[in-house]
Amino acid sequence: MSFAPRFRQGMKAAIPIWIAFVPSSIAWGIAAQAHGLTIGEIVLMSAWVYSGPAQFAVLVPLAEGKSAATVLIAGLLMNLRFLPMSTALAPFFRGVKRMPLLISSHVVSASSFIVPYLQFQKEREASAGLSVADVYGNLGFFVGVGATSFTVWVAGTTAGYGVALGFPPGFEEALKFILPGYFAGLLVSEMKGWTMPLICLASVIAAIPGALLNPGWGWLATAAAIAILGWSLEKWLSRA
Amino acid sequence: MAFTRIELIFILGLSALLLRALPQLFLVGKNFPDTWDRLLRYLSYALLCGLISITLFMSGARFETQAAPYRGVALAVTIAIAYKTKSAVTGMLIGMMLVLIFAWVR
Repeated sequence: MSFAPRFRQGMKAAIPIWIAFVPSSIAWGIAAQAHGLTIGEIVLMSAWVYSGPAQFAVLVPLAEGKSAATVLIAGLLMNLRFLPMSTALAPFFRGVKRMPLLISSHVVSASSFIVPYLQFQKEREASAGLSVADVYGNLGFFVGVGATSFTVWVAGTTAGYGVALGFPPGFEEALKFILPGYFAGLLVSEMKGWTMPLICLASVIAAIPGALLNPGWGWLATAAAIAILGWSLEKWLSRA
Repeated sequence: MAFTRIELIFILGLSALLLRALPQLFLVGKNFPDTWDRLLRYLSYALLCGLISITLFMSGARFETQAAPYRGVALAVTIAIAYKTKSAVTGMLIGMMLVLIFAWVR
């Protein structure tokens, strides 16, 4: 399948992400405006940084004029998660030219990673480990998910600048659940074996003390430590 | 050296783009050994699970003590339904409805 049909397939797969992005991006627009950022800064941040957790993490230090190092280190730590995500996606784009890769990599996010990654894994397993020949099809699917979600994020941010959230409190609570609920559903519906569920469960639990110790990067550190520990244990058990 | 807010946002975006683009540019098409492939998968999934946890249970630096048990139950139901039906959307919708019900009952 070539780029265009796979792009449409990616778009369809991204619909739950769009729904989840609407309240989050509007909330970001409202919060950033309340902290005194201009519309230009708010939209630039959504379009150029494009990372909800990092945007929220640097909002207060940025608005309060804290040191550049504080802002940049907080943002960098929150964005470190893109490194393994982007690395895990890379094998599926063999043969794609560098310029399309450079442009499309801008829309790598947690959402635009997990949906294509699981799809590619499924397709690789269905083709019995043979590499999928149409790499531009893979890129199309990824861009279909990533670029459309990115557009929703930036548009929602702009809307949030002018519009206050009018949802009743309970409804807001349900909207907050969409993205984590969708991620959890995606992960669990594709899980096999015991290592992955254990790593996921441990990461969910350990993220809380991690975030309490350091709201910026504590949960990132605990997640990385648990993944490495699980991986090492699995290697050790397979050798024993 | 003092930076303006726009300059800081620009540097932040540039660092994010580097983290996203470097693997795509230099590791594209490389098939990692199975063991490294597993480590990458575990790292990505663990980070996503950490993100799920802090989105649901934390508000800034504070643990949401009151809402956490309800959200935890909704998450558990979402996982059970998604596992049983192999449909993430079904699980998410049922979990969302549960959260709504809990919010109204509380």
